[in-house]
Amino acid sequence: MIQIQGIGNQTGPKFWRSLQELSNTSKFQQWVAQEFPEGATDILDGKSRRNFIQLMAASMGLAGLTSCRRPVEKILPHAKSFEGMVHGNSLHFATAMPLAGRAYGLLVESFEGRPIKIEGNASHPASRGAATSIAQASVLNIYDPDRATEVLEKGKKANWDVLKDAPASLGDGEGFRILSGYVNSPTLAGLKAQLLAKGPKAKWVEYEPVSDETILEGSQIAFNESLRPHYDFKKANVVVALDSDFLHIDNGSLGWVKDFSARRKPTHKEGSGGSHGTAEHAEPGMNRLYSVETNFTLTGIAADHRLRVKPSDVANFVFDLARELGALTGLKILGQQDKFIKGLAKDLTENKGKAIVLAGPRQPAAVHAVVALINNTLGNSGETVVYTKEERRNGLAELVKEMNAGSVKSLLILGGNPVYDAPADFGFGAALKNVANSVYAGPEVNETAAACHCSLPESSYLEAWGDVAHPDGTVSIVQPLIEPLFSTKSAIELIGYVLTGKWQRGYEIVKAQWKLTDAAWKKALHDGVIAGVTAPILKPNAEKAKVEAAVNSASKSKGEIEVTFFPSASVFDGRFANNAWLHEAPDPVTKVVWDNAALMSPKTAKAMGVDTIQDNVGTYSQRITVEIDGRSIEAPVVVLPGHADGAVTLTLGYGRNIVGRVGKGIGYNAYAVRGSTTQGIAATATVRKAAGTNYMVTTQEHHDQAGRPIVQEASVQKYAEEPHFAKHDEEHVELFQLFDSHDYSKGSQWGMAIDLNACIGCNACLLACQSENNIPVVGKDQVAKGREMHWIRLDRYFTGSEEDPQAVYQPMACQQCENAPCESVCPVAATVHSPEGLNDMAYNRCVGTRYCANNCPYKVRRFNYLNWHKDMEEIQKMVHNPDVSVRMRGVMEKCNYCVQRIQEAKIKAKAEGRAKGEAGPYKVGEVLSACQQTCPADAIQFGDINDPASRVAQLKKDHRNYSLLHELNVRPRTTYLAKLRNPNPELA
Amino acid sequence: MALIFPKKLDLMVRVAGAVIAIGAGATAGGMLLLHHPDRIEPGYQPTQPIPYSHKLHAGNLGMDCLYCHNTVEKSSYAAVPATQTCMNCHSKVKAQSVVLEPLRQSYEADQPVPWVKIHRLPDYAYFNHSAHVSAGVSCVTCHGRIDQMVEVKQVKTLTMAWCLECHRNPAPNLRPAELVTKLDWKPERDPAEIGREIIAKKKINPPVNCSGCHR
Repeated sequence: MIQIQGIGNQTGPKFWRSLQELSNTSKFQQWVAQEFPEGATDILDGKSRRNFIQLMAASMGLAGLTSCRRPVEKILPHAKSFEGMVHGNSLHFATAMPLAGRAYGLLVESFEGRPIKIEGNASHPASRGAATSIAQASVLNIYDPDRATEVLEKGKKANWDVLKDAPASLGDGEGFRILSGYVNSPTLAGLKAQLLAKGPKAKWVEYEPVSDETILEGSQIAFNESLRPHYDFKKANVVVALDSDFLHIDNGSLGWVKDFSARRKPTHKEGSGGSHGTAEHAEPGMNRLYSVETNFTLTGIAADHRLRVKPSDVANFVFDLARELGALTGLKILGQQDKFIKGLAKDLTENKGKAIVLAGPRQPAAVHAVVALINNTLGNSGETVVYTKEERRNGLAELVKEMNAGSVKSLLILGGNPVYDAPADFGFGAALKNVANSVYAGPEVNETAAACHCSLPESSYLEAWGDVAHPDGTVSIVQPLIEPLFSTKSAIELIGYVLTGKWQRGYEIVKAQWKLTDAAWKKALHDGVIAGVTAPILKPNAEKAKVEAAVNSASKSKGEIEVTFFPSASVFDGRFANNAWLHEAPDPVTKVVWDNAALMSPKTAKAMGVDTIQDNVGTYSQRITVEIDGRSIEAPVVVLPGHADGAVTLTLGYGRNIVGRVGKGIGYNAYAVRGSTTQGIAATATVRKAAGTNYMVTTQEHHDQAGRPIVQEASVQKYAEEPHFAKHDEEHVELFQLFDSHDYSKGSQWGMAIDLNACIGCNACLLACQSENNIPVVGKDQVAKGREMHWIRLDRYFTGSEEDPQAVYQPMACQQCENAPCESVCPVAATVHSPEGLNDMAYNRCVGTRYCANNCPYKVRRFNYLNWHKDMEEIQKMVHNPDVSVRMRGVMEKCNYCVQRIQEAKIKAKAEGRAKGEAGPYKVGEVLSACQQTCPADAIQFGDINDPASRVAQLKKDHRNYSLLHELNVRPRTTYLAKLRNPNPELA
Repeated sequence: MALIFPKKLDLMVRVAGAVIAIGAGATAGGMLLLHHPDRIEPGYQPTQPIPYSHKLHAGNLGMDCLYCHNTVEKSSYAAVPATQTCMNCHSKVKAQSVVLEPLRQSYEADQPVPWVKIHRLPDYAYFNHSAHVSAGVSCVTCHGRIDQMVEVKQVKTLTMAWCLECHRNPAPNLRPAELVTKLDWKPERDPAEIGREIIAKKKINPPVNCSGCHR
């Protein structure tokens, strides 16, 4: 305790001092006067006590009346039965989610016809059984009461007849334009070709606000061909990420994360030490990740070496690295980073053909050309990096020109939201006014829908047939889980109608496109991928002269303050702005919820005179004005340790004007300053302090561990010398036990092991848990009162200096202590132990004393302060998992290791009459917790610790395994595997 | 100072207080007794949209329970059959019957027959039919002699205490799994002894912890 107070004194005063200088906001002064945040103990949230008593009296009276008669419930069986449908059992269907030119193969759980849970499809190469947080949250979008549900003509309700003239209006295509997102559906691409053949003067433009266009442009320079790189992280000993968050935001395939993390899980063997793999070791050693970046991304957090540079200096770094490697000629410019570059170059040269250099899409084409050249020079091309052909899509500028010239008569916008997210200098919204007939078709009523004459509701991918190709060539059939909930149509059906004048079913159009045999079609639907459809793999040679020319002509502009644009980890490019699950998921790095911020380093913030005033849950953020090419916005600042100096990171996707109720009034709109030449970075920007503050709410106020060994971390060198380093804190005398120990040596005993070295902090587990366990969303105000309900949180700890720290993630859920301190204080035995070692929660017994939460050393219990489900509309309730109780007000809840999945497996095993052996009837891997199943890094392992064949039992024997707060003798069932870094000895 | 209230009011207040307290207590106690599930649950016998007789089908005609409730071995629910299952026979048998008119309408209009639910557990209790049937708990244990009921009614309390009685001592209620639907089965030996043998063979160990039934 003394230590904790000591640390509190260290960090506290620093913020307090700066507060006193700046604390003129009345809100802050109020907070100082109060011990707890306003309303922290206020159960009633805006209702007075008198109201409460009135309500109670009324409900008591009603309760008396209703209890006299038993409510009549109906059983409504189908009139006609379905093949394969067993009432009460879930079905799983393979499908795929298209997202900005990518495809994620999914396995969707359907209960009585409604999709309720999204998992990754193990047979899809871009998913490999994992699903991103966004893919998992997409199920909420189809049950969104604010989604586009009807045809609107000039804002008034209409019907699909508004399109009756569309087939005729195509004509020869004169003045007919279509603007869509990236067409990566082969069927839609086929229809596009038909449409352009029928009306040869028509044009079809594709635009995505978040794209890899610069990467393709770079390969055009290097290879004379527009190519997309694909990486094999299995083989890579050294990975260099240049302004690339390839593990998260810039991720093109979850296979990358799977393979990368697989190389971060060394098991200690005497002598091997876990350094770079050599031929003698059957298991390749741990990889080494270098990250050169501006923003502090998840890739930077995972990195063994990280260099903070301004966005424009990434290019200089890459050019210098290429010169050091001999790939480019010329003099180096970044003197002070010479040691880093030399060390890195040596590491790369030693791992020729076993390294990957990659750059993020924010960097200009010249950087990608040089990266391609480096990979070529090092012999990585063909080994760890291969290419596939991909066409470039850059017709938007020309389309806007035509629109302004008035030569566009009819414009059909298929999805996307160009009025909101097109480059600001294009003035798309204004140009749209010159179009005589504009039609928008999309899944939500957004800025573009409102600006068009007519808006059509589009079906979700969970409602309509389609297909989608991943950039690596894998094609999946998009199989709907449910009939459209409203009178919506898919893009395929819509274009089919424009072509033929007849409404065909999407199923028939897709089937006609593929012409598969019945068996092949069924197999494609079952597997989620069409067998034998791939893109040809290319291993081209880079042209050094052309790359050099590009380097020489590359922009040298460099500003005092530079700006870089990142898509949001929550709402991506803005299309998920009405998804409450994603808003409530804290930003992985800043932990800010329900907001976006302008990120900058402590030093830059200080230089600019911008401060953030911390209270115990959030920040009063001062605002800045960002001006780029004459356009400006205001944004609140969040100071991010580890961010590069002299740079500001803006997050896209917020500040939506026309959006559903969830997304209204959240954040600032960074697209307003993002021009066509500053899509990734703006080297010349003016940033100055603005008036006022924003209240930003975070879920993690602490950035340090208060001196306790919560996260154990070491270098691989130390690990080699001292494999048990994580266990030192566990070495102490046998602790006194208040109660008799229970015998947990028999039967199935559930446990979890979380590998901190694999975890990338991506929030996929958090969303999986939310979806599986019916976890409510509480909103920004309630998170500010510390009432968030997530059963698993991702604690992020900074270590090292404030300016250039490292960070570690630690997923934290109920630890299922064998000596659970929560159980002994519950006055009503609502939380008790099961014979299988679970800390059970009986919601119906809980009276809400909150003693358990108070006594939990890990702070993982969550209390329902209000009835969060009360105002849910019927359609929103469709997303609930029927296997888990929906908790009501006044009830404590927490992680239960997905006990519903354990019970399901147990009952299945019993029904099959499987023998109950010493370790129980379960097969290894039969019971997966939701977080484990979806983890792209396989960092979470859950299972029977009494079964020696289970992965978790093996991990518990690993040298790196340690338990948290061991000195409390609570014996947690969840243990952690210590974090390792693999620094380059040359750079030590 | 003159008294505002007479002295005897003291007693009146006390008596009134006592009367109110006893009255409230008696009302609460009475409500509790009357509303106790043991008292109100058994005997629930709502009128069904079609006067389907289990006595005729399962008793006299000897149809197996599983013919209609076919998911009972695979699912948590014992499915109430689709109209189509009824029509397997009733498209020929009694095809013109007036009482079966709602059934034919349901089939033609593809609309469900709105049967009234009788055996009802709270939403937070996750009962699973397949687990019990595969262990060898007969339908009769929870539902009674359905094969003798013209109109089905609830006969057991279905309370947690009643569930736990069997979970703590399952032996008397177990029988070989193939005899689960034989509602008139009479054991030749002591049923508890048969139960103990089944427990030993199948390693039956019913959960008595919270998460066994509540999630």
